[in-house]
Amino acid sequence: MEYKDIDHLFRHHSGKMVSVLTRIFGLQHLDIIEDAIQDTFIKASLTWRKEQPEYPEAWLTKAAKNRVLDIFRTLKSQKNNLPYISQGTDAIAINELFLDAEIEDAQLRMIFTACHPKLDSRDRISFALKTVSGFSIKEIAAALLTKEETIKKRLLRARKAIKTEDLQFNIPQGKTLIERLESVMEVLYLIFNEGFHSNSKDQLIREDLCGEAMRLCKLLLKHKQTQLPESYALFALMCFHSARLEAKTTVNNEVLDLKQQDRTLWHFPLIQLGNTMMHKAVETENFSCYHYEAAIAAEHLRAKTFEDTDWSKILRWYNALYTLQPMPSHLLTMAVICIQTKDYKSADAYFKQLQPKDLEQRAYLYYAAKADYFAETNHLIDALLQIDLALKTVTNSLEKDYLLKKRLAWQKL
Amino acid sequence: MIFIGADYADLGLSPEELQNRMGKWFAWGNKMEQAGILRGGEALTPQIRRIVGENRTVSDITSAEVKEIVGGYYLVEAKDFDAVQEIAQDFPDYDLGGTVEIREIMVFDR
Repeated sequence: MEYKDIDHLFRHHSGKMVSVLTRIFGLQHLDIIEDAIQDTFIKASLTWRKEQPEYPEAWLTKAAKNRVLDIFRTLKSQKNNLPYISQGTDAIAINELFLDAEIEDAQLRMIFTACHPKLDSRDRISFALKTVSGFSIKEIAAALLTKEETIKKRLLRARKAIKTEDLQFNIPQGKTLIERLESVMEVLYLIFNEGFHSNSKDQLIREDLCGEAMRLCKLLLKHKQTQLPESYALFALMCFHSARLEAKTTVNNEVLDLKQQDRTLWHFPLIQLGNTMMHKAVETENFSCYHYEAAIAAEHLRAKTFEDTDWSKILRWYNALYTLQPMPSHLLTMAVICIQTKDYKSADAYFKQLQPKDLEQRAYLYYAAKADYFAETNHLIDALLQIDLALKTVTNSLEKDYLLKKRLAWQKL
Repeated sequence: MIFIGADYADLGLSPEELQNRMGKWFAWGNKMEQAGILRGGEALTPQIRRIVGENRTVSDITSAEVKEIVGGYYLVEAKDFDAVQEIAQDFPDYDLGGTVEIREIMVFDR
């Protein structure tokens, strides 16, 4: 028999089923639910060794449905906040919760729960990856380059917050929806960035995280209440960035900047999809930061070569973004763009609004940019001074190599 | 071939890992089948009931209470131990500390 390998089938299905069962039994029983679902996958992995069912997804859904009774029994024996389920009519209602549209609805509820502002912002990412995406603690730790212990603590904290704050498993309505959606998009954006900027040696981890963020973002786009211009913009942004994911590193895992990337490796279908999303995103008067970031990413992709990049346009988008979101990193980027266009006076003006410490652990980016500035303006000694400061503070070994190479080239001048 | 090792449930494998592992098992089973050497095999559930001694003392044990458990077996037809050892190279769970024990079915002379 042929083995149909459906990418991430188990992982995705795990997120779906945990969400549906949580809708039935409530968030307070999440532990029992997760264990029950995990058990389903262990059983499947053993029995499918010999033969895969013809419809693997349907098999898994049916198995999860069967767990409803198991969990019910477990809760009954614990006499523990038993939800009221009688035979007959409720059984039909439960059956309906396993229909595709309802599964999506349940997943969306789980996303809103995981991204609830009452949860610590770092805990949200871990909790979302665990419950909505079906990652194990080990996988989350590897993806976020964090210790397993830390992830465990974050998950515990998230669960505790859900209990003490008595969070409801629902999709918020009205005015709260907008606020809560902002928080959801922020988490999806962070998950995506964790993948896109990951220092992990493992390309798969990068693809996993970016893919997950996109899958969850797509869920937002499928639902009437959450398919807003900014969610389209966020998805467009993810498409544009993902298109470059493969070109971003060499086979030896060296980081390539936009100047060095082989543009023929960019993934065209994703760029097209991003463009389509962007058309939907701009049907509004109010642009979000995702709109501007997507516009910037699109502008980079539009240039056939690095030299063709329309820097003035990109600078304009960054200015708009900075107004909306006054972050020091945007100032730094604008300074870098001005160096690129040889507008050293403006570059200097942006630098003057910045202190290295504003960028916290990414201060090395400030020093590296300043080094470039001095090198371009023929102040080589100052350039070397700055790049040494950058080398002193950089932690990522790939970026360190990149800086060292640059330093070596300058030394030879 | 008898497979001995930790139970999957006790290893904290993620759904993704379980799926990957299943794929490897499937590929292995397929390979043996195509070679025409597979005669049977089963995976075993982790519940154990032991009946021990004169008093026929019964105890129910879960996989968590034992270090290793027989997880399943494959029956293959091969020339000798060396041939089965070769087949066992593809056993997917060595990295989980798993063991393959090769035993021969005894054949009595008439």
